[in-house]
Amino acid sequence: MSASAPAPRAADARWDAGDLGCGDLVLELRWRMDALRPGQLLELTARDPGARADIPAWCRMTGHTLITEQHPVYQIRRKES
Amino acid sequence: MANRFCVSLTHSKDNPDKATVGFVVANAAVGSGKETLVFLSVEGVRLAQKGYADDIREEGFAPLRELMDNFAKAGGTIYVCSPCFKKRKLDENNLVAGAAIVGGAKLVEFLSEGSPCVSY
Repeated sequence: MSASAPAPRAADARWDAGDLGCGDLVLELRWRMDALRPGQLLELTARDPGARADIPAWCRMTGHTLITEQHPVYQIRRKES
Repeated sequence: MANRFCVSLTHSKDNPDKATVGFVVANAAVGSGKETLVFLSVEGVRLAQKGYADDIREEGFAPLRELMDNFAKAGGTIYVCSPCFKKRKLDENNLVAGAAIVGGAKLVEFLSEGSPCVSY
Protein backbone atom coordinates (compact mmCIF):
# COMPACT_ATOMS: atom_id res chain seq x y z
CA MET A 1 0.00 0.00 0.00
CA SER A 2 1.44 3.35 -0.90
CA ALA A 3 0.82 6.69 0.74
CA SER A 4 -1.14 9.11 -1.35
CA ALA A 5 -1.59 12.84 -1.15
CA PRO A 6 -4.86 14.00 0.39
CA ALA A 7 -7.51 14.74 -2.14
CA PRO A 8 -7.88 18.44 -2.93
CA ARG A 9 -10.60 19.95 -0.84
CA ALA A 10 -13.44 21.77 -2.48
CA ALA A 11 -13.71 25.41 -1.56
CA ASP A 12 -16.58 26.47 0.67
CA ALA A 13 -16.68 29.84 -1.05
CA ARG A 14 -15.17 31.43 -4.10
CA TRP A 15 -14.47 35.06 -4.84
CA ASP A 16 -13.17 36.49 -8.08
CA ALA A 17 -11.66 39.81 -7.02
CA GLY A 18 -10.77 40.69 -10.61
CA ASP A 19 -8.25 43.52 -10.71
CA LEU A 20 -8.88 44.78 -7.18
CA GLY A 21 -5.64 45.42 -5.32
CA CYS A 22 -4.05 46.94 -2.24
CA GLY A 23 -6.53 48.16 0.38
CA ASP A 24 -9.58 47.50 -1.77
CA LEU A 25 -8.61 43.85 -2.10
CA VAL A 26 -7.71 43.04 1.50
CA LEU A 27 -10.57 44.96 3.09
CA GLU A 28 -13.13 43.09 1.00
CA LEU A 29 -11.18 39.88 1.65
CA ARG A 30 -11.43 40.50 5.39
CA TRP A 31 -15.20 40.85 5.16
CA ARG A 32 -15.52 37.70 3.07
CA MET A 33 -13.35 35.67 5.46
CA ASP A 34 -15.32 37.01 8.43
CA ALA A 35 -18.46 35.62 6.80
CA LEU A 36 -17.05 32.08 6.75
CA ARG A 37 -17.09 29.62 9.64
CA PRO A 38 -13.79 28.60 11.27
CA GLY A 39 -11.96 26.06 9.12
CA GLN A 40 -13.82 26.86 5.94
CA LEU A 41 -11.91 27.40 2.73
CA LEU A 42 -12.09 30.41 0.42
CA GLU A 43 -10.80 30.21 -3.12
CA LEU A 44 -9.71 33.67 -4.14
CA THR A 45 -8.86 34.81 -7.63
CA ALA A 46 -6.88 38.05 -7.52
CA ARG A 47 -5.25 39.28 -10.71
CA ASP A 48 -3.58 42.39 -9.32
CA PRO A 49 0.20 41.88 -9.56
CA GLY A 50 0.58 43.03 -5.95
CA ALA A 51 -1.50 40.09 -4.76
CA ARG A 52 1.50 37.76 -5.04
CA ALA A 53 3.13 39.55 -2.12
CA ASP A 54 0.05 40.92 -0.38
CA ILE A 55 -2.00 37.76 0.11
CA PRO A 56 0.74 35.82 1.97
CA ALA A 57 1.49 38.93 4.08
CA TRP A 58 -2.20 39.38 4.85
CA CYS A 59 -2.50 35.76 5.93
CA ARG A 60 0.53 36.09 8.23
CA MET A 61 -0.95 39.18 9.87
CA THR A 62 -4.48 37.94 10.26
CA GLY A 63 -3.78 34.33 11.23
CA HIS A 64 -5.68 32.78 8.33
CA THR A 65 -3.85 29.94 6.59
CA LEU A 66 -2.70 30.19 3.01
CA ILE A 67 -3.18 26.65 1.75
CA THR A 68 -2.18 27.08 -1.88
CA GLU A 69 -0.96 29.98 -4.00
CA GLN A 70 -0.82 29.71 -7.74
CA HIS A 71 -1.30 33.27 -8.85
CA PRO A 72 -3.95 34.42 -9.53
CA VAL A 73 -5.64 31.68 -7.47
CA TYR A 74 -5.20 31.42 -3.71
CA GLN A 75 -6.83 29.04 -1.25
CA ILE A 76 -7.19 30.43 2.26
CA ARG A 77 -8.53 28.60 5.30
CA ARG A 78 -10.35 30.68 7.88
CA LYS A 79 -8.72 30.72 11.31
CA GLU A 80 -10.42 29.04 14.25
CA SER A 81 -11.37 32.19 16.13
CA MET B 1 4.39 43.01 15.32
CA ALA B 2 2.47 46.14 16.27
CA ASN B 3 -1.28 45.77 16.23
CA ARG B 4 -1.84 49.42 15.37
CA PHE B 5 -1.27 51.47 12.25
CA CYS B 6 -1.44 55.19 11.55
CA VAL B 7 -1.77 57.05 8.27
CA SER B 8 -0.97 60.75 8.50
CA LEU B 9 -2.68 62.64 5.70
CA THR B 10 -2.06 66.32 4.98
CA HIS B 11 -3.80 66.73 1.64
CA SER B 12 -7.29 66.92 0.18
CA LYS B 13 -8.19 68.59 -3.12
CA ASP B 14 -4.76 70.23 -3.24
CA ASN B 15 -3.41 66.72 -3.94
CA PRO B 16 -6.27 64.28 -4.51
CA ASP B 17 -3.82 61.55 -5.52
CA LYS B 18 -2.20 61.56 -2.09
CA ALA B 19 -5.55 61.92 -0.34
CA THR B 20 -6.84 58.85 -2.16
CA VAL B 21 -3.76 56.69 -1.68
CA GLY B 22 -3.73 57.53 2.02
CA PHE B 23 -7.15 55.97 2.45
CA VAL B 24 -6.29 53.01 0.22
CA VAL B 25 -3.38 52.20 2.54
CA ALA B 26 -5.52 52.83 5.61
CA ASN B 27 -8.01 50.31 4.26
CA ALA B 28 -5.19 47.82 3.74
CA ALA B 29 -4.29 48.25 7.41
CA VAL B 30 -7.81 47.96 8.78
CA GLY B 31 -8.45 45.08 6.40
CA SER B 32 -5.40 43.34 7.86
CA GLY B 33 -6.86 43.49 11.34
CA LYS B 34 -4.94 46.52 12.59
CA GLU B 35 -6.42 49.14 14.89
CA THR B 36 -6.09 51.90 12.32
CA LEU B 37 -5.99 55.65 12.68
CA VAL B 38 -6.07 58.24 9.92
CA PHE B 39 -4.73 61.53 11.24
CA LEU B 40 -5.94 64.45 9.14
CA SER B 41 -3.99 67.68 9.43
CA VAL B 42 -3.17 70.79 7.37
CA GLU B 43 -5.32 70.64 4.15
CA GLY B 44 -6.30 67.06 4.97
CA VAL B 45 -8.81 68.25 7.57
CA ARG B 46 -11.20 69.27 4.80
CA LEU B 47 -11.84 65.56 4.15
CA ALA B 48 -13.55 65.38 7.54
CA GLN B 49 -16.43 67.50 6.24
CA LYS B 50 -19.40 65.52 4.96
CA GLY B 51 -19.72 65.90 1.20
CA TYR B 52 -16.28 67.41 0.61
CA ALA B 53 -14.74 64.23 -0.80
CA ASP B 54 -17.74 63.35 -2.96
CA ASP B 55 -16.17 64.60 -6.19
CA ILE B 56 -12.64 63.27 -5.63
CA ARG B 57 -12.20 60.41 -8.09
CA GLU B 58 -8.65 59.55 -9.03
CA GLU B 59 -8.18 57.45 -12.15
CA GLY B 60 -7.35 53.87 -11.25
CA PHE B 61 -8.80 54.12 -7.74
CA ALA B 62 -12.19 53.78 -6.15
CA PRO B 63 -13.87 57.13 -5.43
CA LEU B 64 -12.50 58.65 -2.23
CA ARG B 65 -15.95 58.84 -0.65
CA GLU B 66 -16.32 55.07 -1.09
CA LEU B 67 -12.85 54.46 0.40
CA MET B 68 -13.69 56.63 3.42
CA ASP B 69 -17.06 54.96 3.91
CA ASN B 70 -15.43 51.52 3.84
CA PHE B 71 -12.78 52.66 6.31
CA ALA B 72 -15.46 53.80 8.78
CA LYS B 73 -17.53 50.65 8.20
CA ALA B 74 -14.48 48.52 9.03
CA GLY B 75 -14.02 50.31 12.35
CA GLY B 76 -11.28 52.76 11.40
CA THR B 77 -10.80 55.96 13.38
CA ILE B 78 -10.19 59.43 11.99
CA TYR B 79 -8.56 62.08 14.12
CA VAL B 80 -8.88 65.65 12.89
CA CYS B 81 -6.27 68.21 13.91
CA SER B 82 -8.13 70.79 15.96
CA PRO B 83 -6.07 73.91 15.17
CA CYS B 84 -5.95 73.02 11.45
CA PHE B 85 -9.73 72.59 11.48
CA LYS B 86 -10.37 75.85 13.32
CA LYS B 87 -7.99 77.80 11.11
CA ARG B 88 -10.09 76.84 8.09
CA LYS B 89 -13.33 77.71 9.87
CA LEU B 90 -14.89 74.29 9.16
CA ASP B 91 -18.07 72.94 10.73
CA GLU B 92 -17.57 70.60 13.68
CA ASN B 93 -21.23 69.55 13.45
CA ASN B 94 -20.76 68.19 9.92
CA LEU B 95 -18.12 65.48 10.38
CA VAL B 96 -17.92 62.25 8.41
CA ALA B 97 -18.46 58.91 10.14
CA GLY B 98 -15.63 57.85 12.43
CA ALA B 99 -14.10 61.33 12.71
CA ALA B 100 -13.27 63.16 15.92
CA ILE B 101 -11.59 66.54 16.39
CA VAL B 102 -8.58 66.13 18.64
CA GLY B 103 -5.50 67.96 19.83
CA GLY B 104 -1.99 66.71 19.40
CA ALA B 105 -2.01 64.78 22.67
CA LYS B 106 -4.39 62.15 21.25
CA LEU B 107 -2.08 61.50 18.30
CA VAL B 108 0.97 61.39 20.56
CA GLU B 109 -0.82 58.93 22.86
CA PHE B 110 -1.77 56.63 19.96
CA LEU B 111 1.72 56.60 18.49
CA SER B 112 3.53 56.39 21.81
CA GLU B 113 1.71 53.21 22.73
CA GLY B 114 3.40 51.62 19.73
CA SER B 115 2.34 52.25 16.16
CA PRO B 116 4.05 52.63 12.81
CA CYS B 117 2.96 55.68 10.84
CA VAL B 118 3.08 56.45 7.14
CA SER B 119 2.56 59.99 5.83
CA TYR B 120 0.96 61.30 2.67
